[in-house]
Order: sequence, then structure tokens, then C-alpha cells
Amino acid sequence: MVDSLLKRNPKTHPQLDFPDYKSSILRAPKNKKIFFSSTTSEMSGPIFNKNKIGKLDNDLTLNFSKNNTLPVGHKIIVYGILSDQFSNPIDGALIEIWQANSAGKYLHQNDKNIAPIDPNFSGCGRSITSSKGYYEFITIQPGPYPYPNRGIEWRPMHIHFSVFGKSFGQRLITQMYFEGDPLINLCPMINSIPDEKARKSLISTLDTSQSNKKKLLAYKFDIILRGTNQTYFENKKEGL
Amino acid sequence: MSNIKTVLDETPFQTAGPFLHIGCLPNSVNIRGVIDQDLGSKPFVNKSYDNLITITGSVFDGDGQALDDIMLETWQSDENGLYSSESGFARFVPDNLTKKFYLHTVKPGFVYNFDGKIQSPHISISVSSRGLNMTLNTRIYFEGDDLTNDPLLSVVKKSRNDISSLVAKKIEEDIYLFDIFLQGDKETIFLDI
Ligand SMILES: [Fe+3]
Repeated sequence: MVDSLLKRNPKTHPQLDFPDYKSSILRAPKNKKIFFSSTTSEMSGPIFNKNKIGKLDNDLTLNFSKNNTLPVGHKIIVYGILSDQFSNPIDGALIEIWQANSAGKYLHQNDKNIAPIDPNFSGCGRSITSSKGYYEFITIQPGPYPYPNRGIEWRPMHIHFSVFGKSFGQRLITQMYFEGDPLINLCPMINSIPDEKARKSLISTLDTSQSNKKKLLAYKFDIILRGTNQTYFENKKEGL
Repeated sequence: MSNIKTVLDETPFQTAGPFLHIGCLPNSVNIRGVIDQDLGSKPFVNKSYDNLITITGSVFDGDGQALDDIMLETWQSDENGLYSSESGFARFVPDNLTKKFYLHTVKPGFVYNFDGKIQSPHISISVSSRGLNMTLNTRIYFEGDDLTNDPLLSVVKKSRNDISSLVAKKIEEDIYLFDIFLQGDKETIFLDI
């Protein structure tokens, strides 16, 4: 029996060469990627030790605050389940996030946007999924921000996600958006995904029952990594 | 009959954007105190760092510009061709003055695949950046190694005549050059892993 990751569906992933997103013009490769069935190199991957994760790593309202001063903005919870394409939860997986502050400013020297830095907010956080694939971040609602594209355009409010599953072939980098943001439909980075359902899967939903219980707005964002197909080899190797 | 399971769609990729350091390499952009040490700063913690190889190179865009606002990640076996979930991962960015990246690591060994076939020594490498709607994947093989029976390279050869973009050039003893070209005449072969 041989394991292989499910082939990626090009309709549910963004097109690399998508000129509406200007930065892709000089960076997107022109040739087709070469597909092959997974080898040990794609089916294995790094797993990060739970002990290395600090207590406040998933609380962005506290992990950079000075003298217990909270960052400015609406405190929110972002949570969800990490699973594979067959709905199997993925435990012990590292999720890293980064985002702008409530004014739409990143704590980064290359961010030229004229907006204030928040000295109590770095926008950096990470978490490891529980045995049921659950993850949670406490953070500040990120602001939208302008960037040069076709003239000046605006990014919808978003949080960047980097996810390690169990194997290097499951590795995913994506962005989460917020339900109801009118900027979503205008964004070329989102519109580079051909399939509408796939585009919508990046939009977190407001969970009112959790919001009431925890007294802060709760957004649910489930993440699905590639599943593994098990196939039987019909042709035995010569000599066997 | 086989048991039929619902297959969900994988969550789509989105670009890592220009500020990926904040989440992935916070200490490299002076965000101190959140994370002790950036992830993947050393691929093998327990190896002696005396007899390592160095892989260096740049990532070029369609205008031939070497880029620095990108992140590279590598995944590899140890010198015996064995993968371990505890080591073999590295994450790094090019130097912002020279635009060159450096990976100091052990030279991977020949790797047994599930089907019993042997893969030539290689390192999986990915590129994430602004302008890339998806992370790109490719492999680093090594000049001087026997590449004739590698299963992945034989798949590549079915559609490409020239596989040299996947082979790091030996420029000195234990120093290899591996440039990545996102576009143009020398466009690197990227893999749908
Ligand atoms: Fe962003």
C-alpha cells in the first residue's frame, strides 16, 4: 500500500499569474508545475514541540504589551478546527499568524502606510492545535490598509496564517478575512481563486453564541489541509 | 466496495505578503520577547557544525532582480537518508544587502521511497513572498551525485529536456550554488508537490 497526498485542485487555489494583482506579473512562473505522486520527502515533515510554545504566544493582546497596557482596538477571538480533506482533525500542528494593528499598520520597517504603530502590539502569534484539532487566538481586530496596486487599493481586514500539518506536502500559507467586509469582493488576491465556494471558505464567520459567552467578538475559521489517499499497488516490482 | 468518504476542498493559499517576517521570523525584524528563537534557524541542532555543506544563491524575478522580501523553507533527510520530524527543517531569508541566502546543513543521503525505489540526495525547498499567490516548491539536487535513477527526475524528464535548474552547482569543496529563477529563459522547474 502506498500513501500519497491528494492532488491539489487548481480551481480552488489562486492562479499564480494574475495580472490584476500587479506584484504577480514579475514573480509568477510561466511554465506549468510538474505533478508527481508523493514520496517520503513530501509525506514527512517537521513537528514542533509543544513545550516550545509560551503561554502568551496565542494572545496578541498580551504578548507584546508593556506594563500591562492593552493594545488599542476591538479585542476578538479567532478560533477553529484544523482538519484534513477527510475531516480528520489534525493535532499538535503549529499555526503562526501575523497581522496589522487596529489602524491597519504592520510593525515592519517596509510598511510605508501612514498610520500609527501601536507600541503594545506586534501582530505576531502562534498556537499548537489540541487533540481535536482546535486552535484559538486572542487578538485585536486588524484594520484595512491601502497598498499600491492599480493606483491605490485597499486590502480587506485580514490575518495571515502559516500552517504546518504532519508533512511538508501539507504546508499551507493563507489569509483569513472577516464576514461582512465590503472590501472582500474588490480584492484581486481573493479574486485570483476561480472557485466561488473556495473564495468564501477564507471568510471567517461571526459566532454570536461564543461572542456573548466570552464577551468579545468571536470569529470562526476552520482550516483544511490536504488529505492522504491510500492506494494499493497493483503491479508488483520485478522479482517479487 | 470501497468506503466512500466526502472529500472536502483544501483551504486555498493566499500570498504571504511583504510582512511575513512578523509571524514567521519575528526576531529578524526586531520583534523581541514574543518568541525566544525564530523557527528553523538551524536544521539540525545536534550535528557538529564543522563538516557541513553550504548552499547559497539568490531568487530572481522576471526583471532579473535578486529579491530580498521573500522567505525560503527547506526540508531534508539526514546524511543517512532518514527523515525525522524533529530535525531537517530550515527557514531563512536572503541578506538584504547582498540578496544572497545561505543554508548551512548536512548533505542529505540517498532516500528510500515507499515503493523501494531510491531517491538521489535532495532537499525540498519552498519560496513564499509578496506577488506569489501560492508558495512555490522545488528540489535541490547536487552536482556530482548519481541522478540517473531518481524517480522524481525521471518524471520531470518526461516533459522537460533540461533539468539543470534542479541541480546545485558545486563551486567549491562543500559549497554549492543554487539560484532560483521565478521567470525568464532560465525559469526554475517548479513542482506540484
Ligand atoms: Fe497583509
